[in-house]
Amino acid sequence: MASAADKYIRLEKLGEGTYATVYKGKAVNTGEILALKEINLDVEEGAPSTAIREISLMKELRHPNIVRLHDVIHTEKTLTLVFEFMDQDLKKYMDTLNTQGMIEPQRAKWFMFQLLRGIAFCHDNRVLHRDLKPQNLLINQKLELKLGDFGLARAFGIPVNTFSNEVVTLWYRAPDVLLGSRNYSTSIDIWSAGCIFAEMYSGKPLFPGKTNEDQLQKIFKLLGTPNEQIWPRMSELPEFRADWPRHLRQHLQTRVPALDYTGIDLLGRMLMYDPTQRISAKDALQHVFFNDITMPHPGLHGPYPHSIPSPAMTPQRHNGVAAVNAANTAAYMNQLQQQQQQQQQIAVQQQLQQPTPHVLLQQQQLLQQQQAFQNQQVLQAQAQVLQQQQQALQQQIHAQQQQQAFMMNGRGAGSLQDAAMSMDAAQQGGMGGQGYMG
Amino acid sequence: MAVLSFAVDPSKLSLQNSVLTLAQLECTPSADDGLPTALEQELRALGCEFIQSAGSLLRLPQVAMATAQVLLQRYYYTASLKLASILDIAMGAVFLAAKVEEQQCRVKDIVNVFCWLIDTYRGITTRVETYAIGARFNELKEGMAAGEMRILCKLGFNVQVQQPHGFMINYMQSLDLAENEELAQTAWNYLNDGLRTHIYVCYQPSTIAGAAIYLAARMHGVKLPTAPPWWEVFDIELTDMEDIAGHLVALYSRTPSTGLPLTLDELERYVDQIEAQERLASATLKP
Ligand SMILES: Nc1ncnc2c1ncn2[C@@H]1O[C@H](COP(=O)(O)OP(=O)(O)OP(=O)(O)O)[C@@H](O)[C@H]1O
Ligand SMILES: [Mg+2]
Repeated sequence: MASAADKYIRLEKLGEGTYATVYKGKAVNTGEILALKEINLDVEEGAPSTAIREISLMKELRHPNIVRLHDVIHTEKTLTLVFEFMDQDLKKYMDTLNTQGMIEPQRAKWFMFQLLRGIAFCHDNRVLHRDLKPQNLLINQKLELKLGDFGLARAFGIPVNTFSNEVVTLWYRAPDVLLGSRNYSTSIDIWSAGCIFAEMYSGKPLFPGKTNEDQLQKIFKLLGTPNEQIWPRMSELPEFRADWPRHLRQHLQTRVPALDYTGIDLLGRMLMYDPTQRISAKDALQHVFFNDITMPHPGLHGPYPHSIPSPAMTPQRHNGVAAVNAANTAAYMNQLQQQQQQQQQIAVQQQLQQPTPHVLLQQQQLLQQQQAFQNQQVLQAQAQVLQQQQQALQQQIHAQQQQQAFMMNGRGAGSLQDAAMSMDAAQQGGMGGQGYMG
Repeated sequence: MAVLSFAVDPSKLSLQNSVLTLAQLECTPSADDGLPTALEQELRALGCEFIQSAGSLLRLPQVAMATAQVLLQRYYYTASLKLASILDIAMGAVFLAAKVEEQQCRVKDIVNVFCWLIDTYRGITTRVETYAIGARFNELKEGMAAGEMRILCKLGFNVQVQQPHGFMINYMQSLDLAENEELAQTAWNYLNDGLRTHIYVCYQPSTIAGAAIYLAARMHGVKLPTAPPWWEVFDIELTDMEDIAGHLVALYSRTPSTGLPLTLDELERYVDQIEAQERLASATLKP
């Protein structure tokens, strides 16, 4: 019987979570360095649901910004998940910086970009992460950032399910979830990402609440106490209270001074109260804030630049370093290139017209509105066509029906013909009579 | 069995339901193991029935019961009934599906409910307040935990199941059928009863949803648009719907057999008996 020890050598401990211990490990065959997440199996409770979620979802999600799950080893008492090795989590990294946790802006932007790409990929594949926080984001010397810890993640389909609201560490939990909403969707991850965004630029958690209520109050104090006007139907949420103290909205800039104008705009869109108004990860990646995105100087513990480099550093300017890291960064640069080209094109077009950032933002909004409007028109047109078709159909229905019935009986072969006898039973469906709708 | 390795086809994102080929369907591990096809089908259906009943007694939502039944069906396309009993796998599937679908469900309650279902199936009517005592309880509990782990390992943790129920509701709404409660309930029942057949491992949920509407509309004599055919709007093949409808209808003509073997020991004796009878029959035929 193969065990974890036969395939992997366990090295030092990397971290401890609530249900698992993570060790550095080495593959016996290849010498490859890996991370081994060991989960104890409880005799009473069987396989932990966190492990079931994490494995079933992560083995399907392959993306440069998601930690790769290589293998799973099951022994009688433990389940070991074998992940690609990452140097550090983002929380530990921020703690080691001698800048009160503030990450150098260009680097923070690069991390943020990767975080959003990982989230966009999850959402595109109908997976909610539901526990985004700095401890669950892993980084390496190549300045790659990857989403880890999918222990609370959930596949979502057409929303027939109500989800648990025991999700997301308090500080990063969206206000709709705090108010007891159970039909949240992708917007739940965007809120967390917004909190992380601010934390990277300021070095401090944005809303470090102690209890559910305290968490809400911390949010209200910065973003203002919400009302039906800015957040329609909020009063229908289970934990809504009419007697909250009224706070006025503060400028986000006061809390995240290191973030420039476009960044503040993006942050505001990620921290919208109304979940339906929160920007999507995909749209966030297209935001003007990322127009100048560049791969920063690699090396995790590089000195913190005291002055913010005004023209963006590009790897080409640092030929020496870039050459050394070329192999590492090549993959990223390729992926980036396409996106950058697109963004540059948009930027150039916009600059040709009117180049101030204020106007750029307005134009982007306008563009989005136009797009939305056009989509609506297309939909309406489609609906009209469908309606017309349906009307035409109804006229033909008698003839068609007879023909169809004939065809069915002819073609349904054995199964349908035998069935004729049991039609009565089938008429009502429901042998067990279980499971009513709703 | 300890090491799982993932032979994942990267071209296919299998958060979508995986669908079996005809060869896989026809040659199941149990058939390879010499089990009669009819017996296998009856045992699968019985396992699903247990899950459905247990789920309602445990007040689980239909989506959890549906997931559990799909897991049981998938499992027995990877392993023989002679390896793990239908009872262990049915219990393990409920245990696992409740976790996958985020439902609170206590071990004790699942075991109790299954104790009751087994007794009822065997015609034992002595009602005990709670079964959660003694060797029988522990035996069932261990069977359940083992069943869960077997399913996880055999399916490579591929336990996310996409259900057709949501699709069906959407289709009904766009076909203006949502108001017709009778039809909706019939179609809904087809979806749930269909879990006892292999349609959930052969077809994508959208196709199954279409087929349930198709059959329910025929049963209730409701006319649906045919030019262009409504199913084309939803990207569903008519032949697929007909095949599914055939399996659904056939389901209702089946008379459920009683006294099926629930444990591995019972199964062995049951198969021995069948074989003995066959030998006897062929011996008496010979001069
Ligand atoms: N692939 C990896 N490479 C390096 N370190 C890792 C890796 N995965 C996890 N770690 C470290 O282990 C810690 C715990 O891991 P993880 O978050 O996956 O466990 P967990 O039990 O789910 O945690 P919790 O439930 O408390 O959030 C991480 O914060 C990180 O420091
Ligand atoms: Mg964690």
